[in-house]
Amino acid sequence: MAGSALKRCPLEGRVIVITSGKGGVGKTTATASIGAALALEGKQVAVVDMDIGLRNLDVVMGLENRIVFNVVDAAKGKCKIKQAAIKDRRIENLYLIPASQSDNKDILTPEAMVRLCKELRKEFDYILLDCPAGIERGFENSVAPADEAVVICTPEVSSVRDADRVIGLLYARSITPRLIVNRIVPEMVENGDMLSHEDVVEVLSVELLGLVQLDNQVVISTNTGVPLVLQKDSEAGQAFRRIAQRLDGQEDLPIEIPQTQKSFWKKLGIIIGIGK
Amino acid sequence: MLNGWLKKLIGKSDSKGVAKKRLQFTLIYDKLEVSDDILIKLHQDIVDVISRYFEIDKESLKLDIRKSEGRSALVVNTPILSAKRVCPPPKGGV
Repeated sequence: MAGSALKRCPLEGRVIVITSGKGGVGKTTATASIGAALALEGKQVAVVDMDIGLRNLDVVMGLENRIVFNVVDAAKGKCKIKQAAIKDRRIENLYLIPASQSDNKDILTPEAMVRLCKELRKEFDYILLDCPAGIERGFENSVAPADEAVVICTPEVSSVRDADRVIGLLYARSITPRLIVNRIVPEMVENGDMLSHEDVVEVLSVELLGLVQLDNQVVISTNTGVPLVLQKDSEAGQAFRRIAQRLDGQEDLPIEIPQTQKSFWKKLGIIIGIGK
Repeated sequence: MLNGWLKKLIGKSDSKGVAKKRLQFTLIYDKLEVSDDILIKLHQDIVDVISRYFEIDKESLKLDIRKSEGRSALVVNTPILSAKRVCPPPKGGV
């Protein structure tokens, strides 16, 4: 499907797995958004849906109607990488390699993924692997070829617990993960009803990559298939853009902490130096 | 009730504090879990080491992990048949 835009990169690309342990914390949205943001930075990006049998990255990216080949075909050599990589409609340099919808979990192996990623590294600057929930086969397949890992969690007990488990498994494979805390509700944090990102980082003792607040635009973006990072008024979209920039070497870019929406008069008060 | 009313008045509650404590406790407890594979290996190693010094009934050696709040204890129980008279040669780097 992909055209001739697939260029050879002078350096080998980085393979980054995006994982969480727990399902439903925003891995797929994060993968799509970070991938899109990296492509907007001018990088060649492939996002790979590793959730064999339950693919979803395609619908989040609005590319569900264009699937012919998938990651299993590419890994097994049934098609060329160029055939499996679907070019994004809106964002230049962004490609999706979808999962297969087969219900055979053993269809993909870690070795096959390592081989596939070795090829992908030659074509792309970034290969983002959207890991399925759980710590079984799909996790192994996603982590085996990865150089780096991004762990996503929400400020909830269940999600942080699973993140801790996954972080342990990544360390056991000599990968030092970085953390994104997703779906922060600043009002609830302020009222003492939600774990703050400091609490989460303290419990997990892991390097922070970014903070993303709960944003209704995520649902709207998934409804329409329009990338979140292209929506200027989306707080989450802008947070993912900064995360991508930090991943892409702008390490000193400060991590913005989600704030409660202040009224016009309060904002004015802050500007002129009264009130907070 | 007064508590809830007070909280409303101050506008602060602390369900987050509860969450953090529960989380920390859960993580500690999770890490005390030992897989069966490790226990079987440990069982074998303990039998080997004790057998160098004592004649033991290898079948009846029992290995247990006992858990109480926030703590775990490894309990090894074995009947000794007899002590060995000869000191075993030192083993290097097991």
